[in-house]
Amino acid sequence: MVNFSGIILRKFKNIAGSRYEEIMKAYQEFFLTEEELQIPEVKSILLVLDRFSGEVPEEVFEVLSAYPGARIEVVYVIDEGLCSIIGETLGEEEAEAFRKSEESLGRELLRVTERSLSKFDLSFSMEITFADKVEFVENDAKNRDILVVSRHFGSESTKTHRISPIVFRIVQGVKKPVIVY
Amino acid sequence: MSPEEAIALAVFLGVYAFIITERIHRTVAAMVGASLILIVGIIPWEKVPEYLDLETLLLLAGMMVIVNVSRESGLFEYIAIKTAKLSNGNPMKVLLLFSVVTAVVSAFLDNVTTVLLLTPMLLYITKRMDVNPIPFLLAEIFASNIGGTATLIGDPPNIMIGSAAGLSFNEFLENMGPIAVANIFLTIAVVYLAYKNSIKVTPSKRKEIERVILSMDEEDAIRDWELFRKSVIVILAIVAGFFLHDTIGVKPAVIALSGASVMLLWSGVSPERALEKVEWATLFFFGGLFLIVGALVETGVIDAAAGKIMELIHSEAQAIFVISWFSAVSSAIVDNIPLTATMIPLIKAMGSSVNTYPLWWALSLGACLGGNGTAIGASANVVVLGIAHREGIKITFGEFLKVGALIMVSTVALGSLILWMRYGL
Repeated sequence: MVNFSGIILRKFKNIAGSRYEEIMKAYQEFFLTEEELQIPEVKSILLVLDRFSGEVPEEVFEVLSAYPGARIEVVYVIDEGLCSIIGETLGEEEAEAFRKSEESLGRELLRVTERSLSKFDLSFSMEITFADKVEFVENDAKNRDILVVSRHFGSESTKTHRISPIVFRIVQGVKKPVIVY
Repeated sequence: MSPEEAIALAVFLGVYAFIITERIHRTVAAMVGASLILIVGIIPWEKVPEYLDLETLLLLAGMMVIVNVSRESGLFEYIAIKTAKLSNGNPMKVLLLFSVVTAVVSAFLDNVTTVLLLTPMLLYITKRMDVNPIPFLLAEIFASNIGGTATLIGDPPNIMIGSAAGLSFNEFLENMGPIAVANIFLTIAVVYLAYKNSIKVTPSKRKEIERVILSMDEEDAIRDWELFRKSVIVILAIVAGFFLHDTIGVKPAVIALSGASVMLLWSGVSPERALEKVEWATLFFFGGLFLIVGALVETGVIDAAAGKIMELIHSEAQAIFVISWFSAVSSAIVDNIPLTATMIPLIKAMGSSVNTYPLWWALSLGACLGGNGTAIGASANVVVLGIAHREGIKITFGEFLKVGALIMVSTVALGSLILWMRYGL
């Protein structure tokens, strides 16, 4: 019985030889390492929103759809500290008006986000919460596999910074992978 | 049989045996055989230039220089990434586009370089798609061999046939081009039908691969923009030159050599570096073979064999089928270069009884497409299987044979039918 596998390898050495190694070297930067090829298991994703985040672009949902089976927790965060400051300085009535306006904005944004999530057939849950933005994200992200946040999260109305200082702090403090859009 | 005839035949058969078993490198076998022929004096020294087909050797050398210099620019990686991006992570599109691109590139450049540069990208994509890479690799092999049939410069047998019979680039394109196009789609259909269950991916995988592919930038692959532009211009000019060589009365070898010279002059690449990568082993293999087969011509063995064949063949139609099928089956087992080298003088000797014009196409068809039949039928097969083997993908000889033989039989049948309808009726 002829050893065909041996013939093929011997011929390959004669025909391609070191050219193959050279080409592999040239392609190296396009190839992922074995480690990178292993996609980490993602079961839970935290997507945080606030009044400055705006609508979530479709590309973000496309990326999230690459993790089938992961549950996405969408949370609209209203700054609790700001509510207290308004209450202390302008009175409780003004603070209540601010809360209501924030909640209605949150509900509207969550409705839009829900439509997109359903379109991509993603599993999700939604809530509106009052908390300190940084503290909430840092604590909640501990139990998630990926954090998704807009670069304007926690910004101000003029959006002076390309990436808000709060997002900078979150990216530095959170140990989980963060997608900043 | 005279002693000279016996020696010429023994050397020929001995060299063939070494080429098949690869116990020693095919170039070494051919050089030892040629040396014996010259030592015994079967071919007198003055006749050596006559048997060494310089047109084939120079055309091959010229194209090797062009390919090696342009490769430095990242041109082939650019094509590979562009093709991957066009496929959008859809496995059917990957199969179709990689096959068509491989066929088109191999129609103009050497098959081994084409598959060496496209296979790593194909393996990478199939790995990311999490699909069985075998159908994709097989389609690439078949496409490279089929693409090579289409032009005068596509495959070494075509270069040899063109030079021996004085056929132009346009004649090759006109006669073999339609056969190659029909065969490439036939092949994709056969591969698809044979493996249709394993070329499916889930929508989420597809999205993922699309994302990964889109994140690649083909422009990153270009290592030298200046050289890239110059390479594209020179290659296009050479292809235009091949189209016009008949009209302007310049041999294809001269066009390839001029292209190589312009490339070296314009790019500033060191000639030592460019010429170092010329496959001298292949060129010496050709040279040795030309002398070994030349000895058979010189001693009259070829004439006698042609006479025997002509006793069996009574028409051009019969000759078309006999030559295409004989050369296809033979080149599935032995290297198609020695086969073509042997068949050329045979067909020339048949010229006294039949019109040999359609027979050259039959030989090109068989010699190029026969390579698809087995895992060792053509260099491109060996190279792709070798790369796959190194990456841990085992395609056994038997597995290749099942699909390869089917592809060989169907493509040669379709090709010989087209030739018969054109010339045999």
